[in-house]
Amino acid sequence: MSVQRARPVLGTLVQMRVEGLGEAAALRAIEVAFAEVTAVHRCMSFHEPLSDLSRLHRAPAGTSVPVDARTRDVLVCAREVAAASAGVFDPTIAASQVARGWLPQPRSAFTPDPCANWRDIELHDDARVRLRRPLWIDLGGIAKGYAVDRAVEILLEAGAPQGCVNAGGDLRVFGPRAERIHLRTAAGYLPTLELADAAVAGSNSAGHVHGRTRAAARAGASVGVVAPSCMLADALTKVVLAAGAAGSAAVLARFGAQACAFDDASGWRVAA
Amino acid sequence: MQVRWLIPVGVGAASVVQVAHATQYLTVEQAQRAAYPQATAFVSVRADFDPATVGAPAAWSPHVWQARKGDESLGWFFADAVIGKSELINYSLSVDVHCAVTALEVLEYREAHGGEVRLAPWRKQFVGKTSHDPVTLSQDIKNISGATLSCRHLTEGVRRLLKLHERVLAKAAE
Repeated sequence: MSVQRARPVLGTLVQMRVEGLGEAAALRAIEVAFAEVTAVHRCMSFHEPLSDLSRLHRAPAGTSVPVDARTRDVLVCAREVAAASAGVFDPTIAASQVARGWLPQPRSAFTPDPCANWRDIELHDDARVRLRRPLWIDLGGIAKGYAVDRAVEILLEAGAPQGCVNAGGDLRVFGPRAERIHLRTAAGYLPTLELADAAVAGSNSAGHVHGRTRAAARAGASVGVVAPSCMLADALTKVVLAAGAAGSAAVLARFGAQACAFDDASGWRVAA
Repeated sequence: MQVRWLIPVGVGAASVVQVAHATQYLTVEQAQRAAYPQATAFVSVRADFDPATVGAPAAWSPHVWQARKGDESLGWFFADAVIGKSELINYSLSVDVHCAVTALEVLEYREAHGGEVRLAPWRKQFVGKTSHDPVTLSQDIKNISGATLSCRHLTEGVRRLLKLHERVLAKAAE
């Protein structure tokens, strides 16, 4: 028996499908999973005034601010991907995105330092975060993937043997049966893949900047990344957009991920 | 993690095919039961109102029910549809007797997305599969990554229903 629900969360339609549970158990699990997705959004939204990010941005630079354990999880992963990609992925690009009008001006106690980067995010074991230099964090490139992972973990804990959570461009399937996934892009091309126990994230260059150079990603590029977790897949799309599939091979390999990228000359190409 | 890419290689000149995708999550009856498990009846209500007063187009006519347990009103249930970006979204909204939203569910999601898929690559992606594994769109396109959906219209739809509730139904129930 398959139970599916869809609700608008995270600015997109979040779909959840559970197979192999009774209807009542499936619905209970889906309900808890949606609540978790909403909680992740509340913690990590750039816009919501009460999110952890907004509280960090409002606090005087250099003070340490307690954050939700989930926000800390995401920041840990963000720093890992930033380190592995030598800053091509960088969650502190928000100031560049605000300057371009891609993100709204946050209420902030400081003006961001243009030289600040991911190394200036200090994480403490007690889930406190301190910004060594004034900077704005945007987790838009990774938190949605994390929300999908959290939802999948909840469905697995509830005993669901097979299913899928899809938040727009970020999707994870779980269970032994491989499922066919279509990646859709603005170009309308649909590469297809079969996945079991894996995540895929699709992204295009709109709204993305290179973490190190802060230059806008090349227009018209589309990428898809397959990774063991949706958070990784989500973050790695930004690396592939900025550095190209070939230029990202080492980072992808480090996280056990694969990518496909589209360009007009050669169509879709897989970098595995 | 198990991955198999079935992607087209080398996209050339190609004709265009329309791909439609529809998923039904819940029927109206299922959504009603989920929202008001204790209800004994759902009474269809004809709401007399001028759509302009709630900022809706003249043809707007959402379905409205009152959920009842015997003579007691448990709240209201609405079924409506909005256009997302280019996709039609059927959804339901439940509002309790205290005028609070208790559930928002997407019932059905259909898209004929601006969506031209170029035929040649579309076919090629099934090379080696097509003969033994006939591909039906309705089954195969249940997982689309990158479905860019505009939830803005859904939010507007909910706002209209809440206005309708506040100005017409809540008053009539007083």
